[in-house]
Amino acid sequence: MPPKVKTDLTTRIKDLVFRNPLTVASGTFGTKGEYAPFVDYSKLGAIITKTITVNPRAGNPMPRICEVTGGMLNAIGLQNKGLQDFLENKIPFFAGIPTPLIVNIAGETTEEFEALARALEPHKRVVRALEINLSCPNVEKGGAGFMRKRERILDVMKAVRSHTGLFIFAKLSPELGDVLEIGEDVVKAGAGGLSLINTLKGMAIDIEKRRPRIANLTGGLSGPAIKPVALRHVYEAKKALGVPVIASGGIMSAPDAIEFLIAGADLLAVGTANFVNPSATLDILAGIKDYGRRHGLENLDQLRGTLQVSPGHGDAGGGG
Amino acid sequence: MVDLPVRILENKRINGKYYKLVFRSKRLAARVEPGQFLNLQIVPGTDPFLRRPFSYYRLEDERIEILYEVLGRGTALLAARAKGDGLRISGPFGRAFKKNLGKKKRILVAGGVGVPPLVFLSERYGCDYLLIGTKSREEVLPKRELAGVRGKILYATNDGSYGLKGYVTKLLENLIKNFPAKEIFIQTCGPGVMMQAVIDIARREGLEGEASVDKPMACAVGACLGCMVKTPSGWVPSCTEGPVFKFQDICERL
Repeated sequence: MPPKVKTDLTTRIKDLVFRNPLTVASGTFGTKGEYAPFVDYSKLGAIITKTITVNPRAGNPMPRICEVTGGMLNAIGLQNKGLQDFLENKIPFFAGIPTPLIVNIAGETTEEFEALARALEPHKRVVRALEINLSCPNVEKGGAGFMRKRERILDVMKAVRSHTGLFIFAKLSPELGDVLEIGEDVVKAGAGGLSLINTLKGMAIDIEKRRPRIANLTGGLSGPAIKPVALRHVYEAKKALGVPVIASGGIMSAPDAIEFLIAGADLLAVGTANFVNPSATLDILAGIKDYGRRHGLENLDQLRGTLQVSPGHGDAGGGG
Repeated sequence: MVDLPVRILENKRINGKYYKLVFRSKRLAARVEPGQFLNLQIVPGTDPFLRRPFSYYRLEDERIEILYEVLGRGTALLAARAKGDGLRISGPFGRAFKKNLGKKKRILVAGGVGVPPLVFLSERYGCDYLLIGTKSREEVLPKRELAGVRGKILYATNDGSYGLKGYVTKLLENLIKNFPAKEIFIQTCGPGVMMQAVIDIARREGLEGEASVDKPMACAVGACLGCMVKTPSGWVPSCTEGPVFKFQDICERL
């Protein structure tokens, strides 16, 4: 029997200290207190906001969501009330919560990313890090398609870096191209860490009407269906680049979360699971604590990145 | 708002159209108003993936009744759940129907899955008329289910097998001739086409009212922005700003 210990879940990324690795994926936890009836926000390790843009965005036409096997598609289109509203109404709300806030930002141009970084800089007592959304599959300008041109991503990263002292996570997805190559480039351009992965672009068709089930035609696939893909990218990025990683993609349960920790993830962003189970974050947290006790873990670093790979395996890509 | 497990007390077909699900929860039953809804996980696990929203039908202390139709895979799976099975449910969510209408006549226009919340409303606050539209006699709720309605019930069936032959909007057109426009308040819930026809009549005649809109929904708390309704102030989530909207706040065809 391993000794029964209470696992210290404290997670450190540079000088940022999180009481545990549990956070929420951008766009799945609202912009203010939407989940407060179900979740004590002060129990979370960090909170990641829905994407903020300089100007308010109306979002995409309806229908914007549909259920698919193993998850859902969404094409919300970054609907939000814009930077000014965030500064006036949301920052004061989060200032009252003792949980580090990571603000997710997106722009249509390098200048917009720059403006967001500059405007958030004075709020660093509340805003502890930025997550740069480079991979939204549902918008044209500034979305994943747009950012497929490498110089655009790098321009954005450099611009943000030069206008903020905050820690920067770059949110990437395979929609952009080779995640490892891009990851290496964005780290060189000033990202301190990566956020992996965003939703994957997909489709669903109503066969009776022969119409797309999402008005935008395509939407971002999230949920358990994308977990293996996310896990692979987190594992590869940690192994190749060694930078801090926020993992997201189909984390529905504590076992899912623990897989990501073993793959090396620093923070665990629970996303679509919040829609299905409003208490998902705290349920997962309880499950991690229980696992830590059962395995006699003193801290999570005894678990992080401890995947056992047989010699000669796990280096090359590809299956077959 | 709470999220908790419950056990099924009853889950059975009650006529050609509706199934009734019964469970008990003091916390889910607290402070519920007609028009609000709950979000129900049909089967444990991730398939079907999303919860399904259902309106509250009837509350008796801690006993909660839901009336539903089998319309797709999710509701078909729900119909197969047995007494004693567990369900996970969150709620109550959303804005309710207006309860106090002053001296105005409350006219309720219901069809399909829109019948349960309006029966709830009329049982709790009374109504002047409850107009129910169905395809045929087999789909009309059994008498005992409507015994608590405090108001006059009028029926319309497409095939004329019960009540007036035709759409429920024909009943509405006939009825509103009897009252000055200012004295009428309509509350409607049902298929989009039906509610749109009701709204069109109300606009033409200058009548006030509310409709409970039904959109594909995920989170039920205003976070995912999936269930949006177009209003004068832009797209708003129907789960928190609705599902009940004033007619004039609905700027789209339902």
